[in-house]
Amino acid sequence: MDAIEHPLRKYTRPHVTRTTTCPGCGNGIVAQAILRAIDELGLEMDDFVFVSGIGCSAWIPSPLFAADTLHTTHGRPVAFATGVKLGRPDMNVMVVSGDGDLTAIGGNHLIHAARKNIDLTVVLVNNGIYGMTGGQTAPTTPLGLTTITSPYGTMEHPLDISATIVAAGAPFVARWTTAHPRQLTRSIKKGLQKKGFAMIEAISQCPVQFGRVSKLGKATDFLQHYKKNSISFSKASGLSREELAGRIVIGEFVDIEKPELSSQWMDLKHQMGQEAQCHNKQ
Amino acid sequence: MSEIIILKNSCKGIEDCGICMSVCPKNLFAPSHEMNERGFLPPRVIDEDPCTVCMNCMVSCPDMAIVVAKKKKTKEPK
Ligand SMILES: Cc1ncc(C[n+]2csc(CCOP(=O)(O)OP(=O)(O)O)c2C)c(N)n1
Ligand code: SF4
Ligand code: SF4
Ligand code: SF4
Repeated sequence: MDAIEHPLRKYTRPHVTRTTTCPGCGNGIVAQAILRAIDELGLEMDDFVFVSGIGCSAWIPSPLFAADTLHTTHGRPVAFATGVKLGRPDMNVMVVSGDGDLTAIGGNHLIHAARKNIDLTVVLVNNGIYGMTGGQTAPTTPLGLTTITSPYGTMEHPLDISATIVAAGAPFVARWTTAHPRQLTRSIKKGLQKKGFAMIEAISQCPVQFGRVSKLGKATDFLQHYKKNSISFSKASGLSREELAGRIVIGEFVDIEKPELSSQWMDLKHQMGQEAQCHNKQ
Repeated sequence: MSEIIILKNSCKGIEDCGICMSVCPKNLFAPSHEMNERGFLPPRVIDEDPCTVCMNCMVSCPDMAIVVAKKKKTKEPK
């Protein structure tokens, strides 16, 4: 270990001295953005439960973060997190997982948690591929990309997961890339403060699997690509579908208030308790 | 004035990562000549003086291997 410590190291487990990711992987930038958001908000790690699924991005909170972490089955972190939040509404429950995990096998959980508006903060790390299992096509893979499961180029249209979750009714949805670490941090802070379902999509580089098939190059080439091709939500709204081809629309898509599920359950429980007491007295 | 600290054993190497080198507006990082204990080649800081404390390197390092401190402090051994 080095003698001097990174200031965010106080939020990580002392015995975990290395991340599980490949050199230059965007997961580390997202991990730091999450910890910085927690630090800037002055929150305590003891008040957090981090829930992740299966995939490289699912290794962001566990084993690194010094908090309660649930590393669940593939696609199910939102379902587990829903249970945690309803059982412990006092806790900050954050889901951190990949695009394969949260949009493919776990897509329905994500959509319905947004619809129900349960107070979770979901950080969806979108690297456009199944990184951990060797680079298969994901629902987010760009059209035409040759992957190991689409040797002639994928013929499927990618899913815009942020737009989907906006349509599902989430009160907070934002998208940034790993070339925007400060904006990412700011939106994670807003997501944590939102009483309701918040999703922050982080477009992130997988220089190993996506890099290999896309020939996009090294981690630094990805970041340059993100910088060059991203366009703000407000600017994009004036452009046609053709003009937006290949662009990454970034920004905060929705930020509203609406009644939240776990607090409504608490209110109901309280009300039922009072009714039961009155009944017992009679 | 700033102090740029490279936590060299956390670094995963400028060959495959090198993000710090690409995000520094003042090009203050260069390859070092010595591998860290994991066999990666960390960057080294050429000159601290031009640093604007923009923190790009610190917030973009995926392995929390860079700390930029605003003022020069005397290093305390831990
Ligand atoms: C039920 C089930 N099906 C398939 C798998 C294999 N599997 C593990 S990770 C993964 C995809 C991960 O992709 P993503 O969520 O995008 O994460 P990344 O590794 O890219 O960060 C798959 C298909 C599994 N573990 N469990
Ligand atoms: S395979 Fe890709 S996503 Fe997984 S750790 Fe390596 S670079 Fe990151
Ligand atoms: S703080 Fe900014 S100017 Fe200073 S070394 Fe880091 S990236 Fe370069
Ligand atoms: S960004 Fe961090 S991990 Fe990457 S080369 Fe620089 S110091 Fe090493």
